Amino acid sequence: MREVMLVAMREIRQVLGTKGFWFMIAAVPVALAVSGFASNQLAPERSVAYSVVDETGLYEDRITARLEYDYQASELRDLAEYVERWELQDAVPDAPWASRQSWLFPAEVERFADMGGSEAAIAALEPFREEGVPEFEPDDRSYEQIAFPDDLTLPDAGEEPDEKLIAALEGDVDVEDRELPFGAVLQIPANFGEPGAEARIFTNGRSNTGLIRVIREELSGSLQDGAFAAQGIAPDTALAIQGLQAPVSVIEPPPGAGRSVVATRSVVPIALVYLLLITAVTTGSLMLQGVVEERSNKLVESVLACIKPDALMQGKLLGLGAVGFMIIIVWAGTGMIGALYFEGFAADVLRPSLEALDDPLLIFAMLFYFVTGYIVLAMMFLAIGAVSESMQDAQSYLTPVILLIMIPVLIVMQAAISGPDQLVVKVLSWIPIYTPFAMLARLGTGVATWEIIGTMVLMVIFVWIELRLLGRLFRASLLNDGKPTWKRMVGWLKSSEAGR
Amino acid sequence: MSAAAMAFDGVTKQFGDFTAVDHLSFAVPEGTIFGFLGGNGAGKTTSLRMALDILTPTGGRIDVLGNPPSRESASDIGFLPEERGLYKKMSVLDTIVYFARLKRMEAGPAKQSAMALLERLELADWAKSPVEKLSKGMAQKVQVATALVNSPKLLMLDEPFSGLDPVNQKMLEDLIADAAKDGATVIFSTHVMQHAERLCDRLLMLARGKKAFDGTQDEARAALPARLELASRTAPDALPGVESAEAIGTAEDGWIKYDVRLNSGVTPEQLLEHCTTNGFGLRSFDVQTPSLHEVFIHFVGANEEIER
Ligand SMILES: Nc1ncnc2c1ncn2[C@@H]1O[C@H](COP(=O)(O)OP(=O)(O)O)[C@@H](O)[C@H]1O
Ligand SMILES: [Mg+2]
Repeated sequence: MREVMLVAMREIRQVLGTKGFWFMIAAVPVALAVSGFASNQLAPERSVAYSVVDETGLYEDRITARLEYDYQASELRDLAEYVERWELQDAVPDAPWASRQSWLFPAEVERFADMGGSEAAIAALEPFREEGVPEFEPDDRSYEQIAFPDDLTLPDAGEEPDEKLIAALEGDVDVEDRELPFGAVLQIPANFGEPGAEARIFTNGRSNTGLIRVIREELSGSLQDGAFAAQGIAPDTALAIQGLQAPVSVIEPPPGAGRSVVATRSVVPIALVYLLLITAVTTGSLMLQGVVEERSNKLVESVLACIKPDALMQGKLLGLGAVGFMIIIVWAGTGMIGALYFEGFAADVLRPSLEALDDPLLIFAMLFYFVTGYIVLAMMFLAIGAVSESMQDAQSYLTPVILLIMIPVLIVMQAAISGPDQLVVKVLSWIPIYTPFAMLARLGTGVATWEIIGTMVLMVIFVWIELRLLGRLFRASLLNDGKPTWKRMVGWLKSSEAGR
Repeated sequence: MSAAAMAFDGVTKQFGDFTAVDHLSFAVPEGTIFGFLGGNGAGKTTSLRMALDILTPTGGRIDVLGNPPSRESASDIGFLPEERGLYKKMSVLDTIVYFARLKRMEAGPAKQSAMALLERLELADWAKSPVEKLSKGMAQKVQVATALVNSPKLLMLDEPFSGLDPVNQKMLEDLIADAAKDGATVIFSTHVMQHAERLCDRLLMLARGKKAFDGTQDEARAALPARLELASRTAPDALPGVESAEAIGTAEDGWIKYDVRLNSGVTPEQLLEHCTTNGFGLRSFDVQTPSLHEVFIHFVGANEEIER
């Protein structure tokens, strides 16, 4: 065991001494940081201030009401998701947020707003919130209306805005305690509605598409109302026509089983499949290089004079296993920190995915398949190293082996996402080299416990057999000169005294 | 004879149908410098590997430092394999310490011993350099250091002089002699007779896996028919014990030089005595000590690939 540790430590130091390792280990955190940074930069500011100068006095309220409605609907949707996630539906059973679809129904949204919105909901849920359940965090309104500043003037119809207005739109304004970018000013001329008259939106250049869309829709809606009236249609009838909704009901899967939840729960295991492939292939290649170096350079004889070939092999596996583990820890660690402390796309995907991993068996199974998968692949690389004279020689074995691993794995990934019950996936789950990949890909979609336990037993047996065979191959081939033939290799695998 | 540091008793090693070592028996007394002589493929490396438990004999018994071959003895053994190589990216010091640790030394003493050796090998300035920065000769020295770092009781060197320039060969000879002076038993294999001649107390000559000779250098030479050069007026071929006599060079005042070979078992002293008592006129009488190369050819045959 002492020798195994010595070999392992040497392998670790050797790997840590290569630049490639550090590039690889830095790759994921850097990618996360870049994606977080990019999405922060590209995403619109969360909140924007705007002003309406409505010289007709007819439209402003309508736009304000619509923005408020949209805000309340989105709050209601988030709140319902939160309530479902933490199983708080029964706290206030007839509240609008107790149902996932209520945000789709104007009456429910209005009821929610009338009840006092998120603030009131949080207060109502507070007595039912158990320890460990976070408080619901309401979003800020995306668009905060402010009075048009006195010191600014709007241009007359057809004229350009003055410098002062442009400068104001480039800056921030105070809204309550916050500084918000001054995003837009809507100018509705007194003669709006007459031919040739147009409403104008002066913006700060950023695309506040949501705001502009709402303004367009509401102004058009108002004009349509006017047109209905002109056609002699009573306002109530007009409203009824506009309010006509095709009868569509929304049916939801039972909580926790829907596609979105499944997909969310699969993110981490499927990410692990990729990480497994990447770490195993990269550290495996390092391992392979190490063995080929020792062999081609006859170094191995000095080592074998001191320790047994089995100790050498185990030391290598242990050392490189530790390296693989280190990579995962760094990657997973930065992933979690990123998810918890930073905003952005990566965080938006990772956070719910991590939260979805709520089953201890699921977490254990994930780690198990990852570790055994790593060992199985690492041993294949060691075996190639043990029978190769040079790196070119190793390449000729490596290419088919990598294809042999990659192609079914890619098939599995596709299939597992589109339909985890497909036969290919089930069959591959029981072929040891593919078991870890197939099972990881399927884990998030729900796999029968017997299948998890069965494949785990299979993996343990397979790893044990592989270790023994590799031990023989190692003993027999390390001191043999030249490229061994397939026949000789098979001979070594069959005999426990091979090559001695 | 003191206890044996290594003993082979009827050891055979077969690779498939091929017999690489054939019923080999010999003993290496403690404290001696012992040479394994043999041409390419004679079985030297195979024998050493069996003594190190890297290979398992097909038959017979091996005893190393009083035990069957095993990695348990690694802490008392220093081994320099025939083909050299080191981890290229590892520093010189780390390399030597790594092997010391594999041979069960603790980290502290391993480092001290490694530094002391590097001083002695004039490589102390290179301790922190990666092995790949060293010249070939320096790398060879580092490899020797990995064998010596644990102050082994038994040092096994497989073709240690091959690939070394004359300066480093001399240095290695000194290291071997020093190790022996400190009480270590040294076994080295070679197909270069010159080094064996200078260093070895005892020799084992191998021919295709079989023992051809085992004993001291004097014993080896004594087994060869004696040879001498003398100058006389009459041809010495009729003298008793003379196998052949060949004139070399031209006569000088009537004296002729002869290259004389004696029958085996006859010593030059006996011939000289005969000449003086019988009034056979001699002007010179030079005994030619046979070189180890000649001895080797005598035992093993001329068609082995060896060097003088
Ligand atoms: N692993 C092996 N498999 C088959 N034959 C071998 C093996 N190792 C050595 N031999 C053969 O055994 C003979 C002795 O080899 P070796 O001990 O290396 O000779 P030496 O070191 O005296 O030159 C050679 O003919 C060699 O080809
Ligand atoms: Mg050899």
